[in-house]
Amino acid sequence: MTQISRRSLLQGVGLLLASTALPSFAFAQDLPTGGRLVVAADSEPRNLNPAIVASNGVFFVASKIIEPLAEADASSEDGLAPRLATAWEGSSDGLSATFRLREGVTWHDGTPFTSADVAFSALEVWKPLQNLGRIVLANLEAVDTPNEHTAIFRFSKPTPFQLIRNALPVVTSVLPKHLYEGTDINANPHNAELVGTGPFKFAEYKPGEYYRLVRNEAYWGEGEPHLDEIIYRVLPDRAAAASAIEAEEIQLAAFSAVPLADLARISQVPGIKVIPEGYEGLTYQLVVEINHRREELANVDVRRAIAHAIDKKYVVDTIFLGYATAATGIVPHNAPEFYNPEVPQYDFDVAKANELLDAAGYPRGENGVRFSLELLPAPYFNETRQFGDYLRQALAEIGIDAQLVNNDSAAHQKAVYTDHDFDLAIAPPVFRNDPAISTTILVRSGAPVGTSFSNQGGYENAELDALIDQAAETVDTEERTQLYNELQVKVAEDLPLINVAEWGFITVARDSVLNVGNNPRWAVSNWADVAIQN
Amino acid sequence: MNSALRLIGRRAISSIPVLLIVVIGTFFLLELAPGDAVDAYLVSIGGGDAALTEQLRAQYGLDQSPLSRLWLYVTALLRFDLGWSVGFNRPISELILERLPNTFYLMGSATALSFVLGTALGIVSGARIGSLRDRLLSIGSLALYAIPSFWLGLVLSVVFAVQLRWFPTSGIETIASGKEGFDRVLDIARHLVLPVSALSMIYLALFLRVMRAGMAEIWRQDFVRAARAKGITRPRLVLRHVARNALLPVVTMLGLQAASMLGGSVVIESVFAIPGFGRLAQEAVGLRDAPLLMGIIVVSAVLVILVNMIIDLIYAFLDPRVGASERNT
Amino acid sequence: MSALIRFARSPEGLAGLVILAVLAIVAALAPLLFPGDPLRIAGTPMIAPFTDPSLPLGTDRLGRNVLAGLVHGARASLIVGIAAAIVAVLIGSIVGTLAGFAGGLIDEALMRVVDAFQIVPGFLLALAFVSVLQPSLPIVILAIALGAWTGPARLARAEVLSIRERDYVASARIIGMHPLEIALREVLPNALPPVLALSAVIVAGAVLTEAALSFLGLGDPNIVTWGSMIAEGRAVLRSAPYLSIVPGIALIATVIGTYLFGEGLSAMLSRREQQS
Repeated sequence: MTQISRRSLLQGVGLLLASTALPSFAFAQDLPTGGRLVVAADSEPRNLNPAIVASNGVFFVASKIIEPLAEADASSEDGLAPRLATAWEGSSDGLSATFRLREGVTWHDGTPFTSADVAFSALEVWKPLQNLGRIVLANLEAVDTPNEHTAIFRFSKPTPFQLIRNALPVVTSVLPKHLYEGTDINANPHNAELVGTGPFKFAEYKPGEYYRLVRNEAYWGEGEPHLDEIIYRVLPDRAAAASAIEAEEIQLAAFSAVPLADLARISQVPGIKVIPEGYEGLTYQLVVEINHRREELANVDVRRAIAHAIDKKYVVDTIFLGYATAATGIVPHNAPEFYNPEVPQYDFDVAKANELLDAAGYPRGENGVRFSLELLPAPYFNETRQFGDYLRQALAEIGIDAQLVNNDSAAHQKAVYTDHDFDLAIAPPVFRNDPAISTTILVRSGAPVGTSFSNQGGYENAELDALIDQAAETVDTEERTQLYNELQVKVAEDLPLINVAEWGFITVARDSVLNVGNNPRWAVSNWADVAIQN
Repeated sequence: MNSALRLIGRRAISSIPVLLIVVIGTFFLLELAPGDAVDAYLVSIGGGDAALTEQLRAQYGLDQSPLSRLWLYVTALLRFDLGWSVGFNRPISELILERLPNTFYLMGSATALSFVLGTALGIVSGARIGSLRDRLLSIGSLALYAIPSFWLGLVLSVVFAVQLRWFPTSGIETIASGKEGFDRVLDIARHLVLPVSALSMIYLALFLRVMRAGMAEIWRQDFVRAARAKGITRPRLVLRHVARNALLPVVTMLGLQAASMLGGSVVIESVFAIPGFGRLAQEAVGLRDAPLLMGIIVVSAVLVILVNMIIDLIYAFLDPRVGASERNT
Repeated sequence: MSALIRFARSPEGLAGLVILAVLAIVAALAPLLFPGDPLRIAGTPMIAPFTDPSLPLGTDRLGRNVLAGLVHGARASLIVGIAAAIVAVLIGSIVGTLAGFAGGLIDEALMRVVDAFQIVPGFLLALAFVSVLQPSLPIVILAIALGAWTGPARLARAEVLSIRERDYVASARIIGMHPLEIALREVLPNALPPVLALSAVIVAGAVLTEAALSFLGLGDPNIVTWGSMIAEGRAVLRSAPYLSIVPGIALIATVIGTYLFGEGLSAMLSRREQQS
C-alpha cells in the first residue's frame, strides 16, 4: 500500500505564491530569548475557546495557550508534528484510533495533564459542542483511557483514520477536565481566561485594545518559548495595520491584515519583509454559491455559461494581485492527498457563454438583458466584495443583470443560509486538509437550514450524496482518494457551485521577527519557536 | 439661580417622554433588521447548525415576542440595568462605562479646541469686518467646514504618523505601558492629537463663522455706536461689548453640535482605532446586538440632554436678561 | 425681482451658484460624456492619472475609469443631497405646520418626537437605519433625511406660531376659510424662505453624510459615489493617493458651493425681512 508521502508532495508542489523574502529558519540554539511581540489582531472573538469554536479567528490567539494533539508540519511523513500526542494510529477496521500522550506536561495551574483530559474534551466538548467536531467525530462513542498517557477513541461506524489525522490540528484542542467538569461548559469563565498547556499563558484582555499573553516557564518544550510576551493589538481597520507596522508600533501582521495592494510598496520599506508561506494548510476558496430554486439557475447550461463568463486569470491577477491560484474544482491544488486535476474545465469564453444561454432558451431582451438576479457577496473579506463587483460586470457581458446587495455579516448569514433570499452568492469557505471536514458539506443535500457554509442552495444530487457518505466511512486511503476524485469530476460536471480561486494569506513582519511561516498553519500554531532579534 | 434650577427641572421632566420615544423607536427599528445577535455570532465562529442556533436563541431570550422583549427592556432600564450584550458576552453598562472615557477625552478636547480657537479666530475676523484677514479667515473656514473629517483623518494619519512619525497612528495609549499619572496623561495626549485635529476642524469653522456673523450683527447696533462715541478703546470695545454679546449664539451652537459631534466620533474612532463609544455603536450594528445599540443610543440621548442643560446654565449666566425675566414673574 | 438682484450682488451667492451650476451640468451630462456603467472595467488596473489620454484620471484597483466615476459620482452626490433635503424639508414642514396649527396636546406630543430625533446623533441614526435595511439609494436618502428633518420642523412651527396670530389670518378665519387652506395659502409661503435657506445647509450635510456612510461600507453598491471611491482608494492610500484625494476634492468643492449658495439665499432673504 503506497501512501502518498505528504512531505514529498508538499515540497514538490511549489508554494502558491512567489516569496519576496526567504523566511529565516534559525536553529533553536541560535535563537535569542526574551522580547515582546506585538501583533495586529483584526477581531475580538466572543468565545475564545478553540475547543468549542474551531475557527481561525479564535486559533490566532488561543492556539498559543491551548494545544491540540498534533499540529500541521510540512517536513514530516504524515504532515503532522506531535504536540500533546506523541504517536497515533488507526485500526484497520476504522473503529478505533489510539493516541499515545505526552508525559510530563502540566496545565498552566500546575495540575498534571492526563488522558482523562483528552477523554473529557472529546466526549463533552468536541463531539457535542464544536462546530467542526460535530462532523468529524459524529461517530465517536467512547474514549478508553487504559492509563494516564493513552487514549483510545472508539467509533460506532468505520471512520477513516486519514480524516481523523487531517483533523487533529483543528478539532483536538484539549481542555483541562478539572476546570470544566460539572460546569456549564458554554458559560465557563475559562472560555475567556483560557487555561491550557501551551507555551504562553493568558495574562490580560482589555476589550477594544489588546490581548496579552506571557511566557509559560513550565512549558514542556525544551528551550521554548523564546518570547517573553505576545500582545495582540486590536486594529480592526485594514489600513491601520500597514501604518502601524511601518511606524514600528507592531511587528507582525498576519492574515493579510496589510491589504494586498500595499504589499508591493511595503516590501520595499527597509526592515519589513513580506512572507507568503505559512498558510498552505489554511486554503480559502472563492466560491460562487448558486440558488438552484431559481428556474434559470436550475438549468446546468446556464450554470456552465456563468462559469465560462468568469476570467479566473483576471481575478487572480487583479483582485488577488497574483497571490492566489485559479481553482479547477472543489478540492484545491495544495491538497496532494485528494487533488484531481482531471476534471472538466470552463475556460474564459464569453462567446461560448452567450451561445449556451441562447440555446438554453434565454434570449437577450431589447436592452440586451436576458434576465436579472440578485448577487450577494460575503462581506467578510475585501476580496469577496471586489469579486462581487467583478462578477457583476462579467455577467453583464453575457446579458445577465446582477444586482449587488450589500449586507453586513449578520444580514448576509441570514439571507443566504437561513432565508435563502439570494440567487447567487459569493462565499469564502475554508478547505481544511480533508474534504470531509468542511468541503463536502458545500454540495451535499440535507444540511439543516441555518448552517452557514453549507449547501443552502437547494441542490440535490443523490449520486453525489451517496459518494460523499461512502467516502466518509471508507478506511482505505486509496479507495477514499478514488472516491473523492470521482466527486471532483461530478461536481465540475454538474456545477452545484462554481470554484473560482484558492488563496492563502500573507504575513508582513519586521525583519527582527524570526521563524515566521515555518509550518502550514503557522499563524494559528503555537509560536513556541518564534523569537525576536534586538 | 432659582430660575436656572427651575429651567433645568422642567427640562429634566420633559426629557422623560422623549427618552421613551427614543427607546421604543430604536427597538422597533432594530426589529426590522434581518438577522439577530445569534446570526452574527454564528458568522464569527464559521458556521453552526440549527440546533445550536435554537439553543443560543433560547439562552438569550431572543425567541420571545417583540413586545415582551421590549417590556423586559424598558422595565430593566428603569432600574438602570442596561442588559447583557450577546455580541460581547458582557454586561452592557460595563462595556459602555469602559468605552465612554475614551470618547470623552476625544470629544472634550475637540470641543474645547474648536470652541476656543474658533471663537478666538472669529473675534479676530469679526473685529474688522471686510478686512483682508476677515476675508482670508472666511475662505479658510469655509474650506475647513467642507472637508470630510474621515478624509482629513486619513491624510493626517499618513502624513504625520507614518511619514513623519511625530504621532502614533492609532489607539488611545501605548499598549500595556504601565504608565501612571502625568506620564499617562502625556501619552494619551500624544495619541489624541491627530484624531482631535480631524474631528474638530468642522466645528472650529462653524464656531468661527457663527461668532463672526454674530459680531457683524452687533456692530450695527445702537449701543455699540454709543460706546464708540463715548471713546472706549478699540480692544475693549471689541471684546467687552461686541464679542461678549456675540458669544451667546456660539454657546447655543455648542449645545446643538453636541449630538453631531458624538456622531462624528464614530468615523474618527474607526479611522484611528480608538476604543471608544462611537466605535462601539458601529460594532453593535455589525454584531446585530440590539440591546447594546439601544443602550448606546439611550446613553447618547442622556448625554446630549445633560450637555444642553449645562449650556442652559451657562446661557443663563451669560445673559442676565434670561434670569431677570424669571425673577420678575 | 429685487430679490434676485440682491442675490446677484452677494459675491458668495454668485460663487456658490456658479459651482453648483457646473456640477449640475456635469452631472446631467454624465451619461453622454461617459456612456455605460461607470463601474465597468475599462482598462488595466492602477493606471496613473495623466498618462493615458483615453483615461485622463487613470484607473482604480479593478481597472475602472476614475474620471467616469467622478462624473457619475457627481450625479449620485447631488441626487442624494437634494433628495434628502427635499424629504427632510417636506417631513419637517408638515410636522412643524401641523404642530403650530393644532397647538395643545398634539403640539406637545409632536414636539417631543422632534426632540427625540434631535437628541439622537444624526449619524448614529443613519448608521443604524442603513445597517438594518439593505443599503440602497432610497434607504440612504431616507436615513439622512431622518436626521435632518428636525431643523425645518422647528422653523416651520416657529413661523406658523408667529403668523398665526396676525391679522390677515384672523380675518381669513372669520371669512370662514378652512384651516388647511389658510395653512397652504397664507402660512406656508411665508414660512418657506427661511426653511429654504436651511435647506442649503442640509444638502451640504447630506452629501458629507452619504460620503461617510459609503466610506464605512454602507452605501449602495450598484452605483458609484464619491464616498465609495474614497473608501476604495483607502486600501492603496500610500501607493496611489490620488484615488482618494480626487473624490475628496470634488466633495469639498460641492459642499463649498452648496454652502455659499445658501449664504447667498440668506442674504437675499434677510434683507427682505429687514425691509418689511
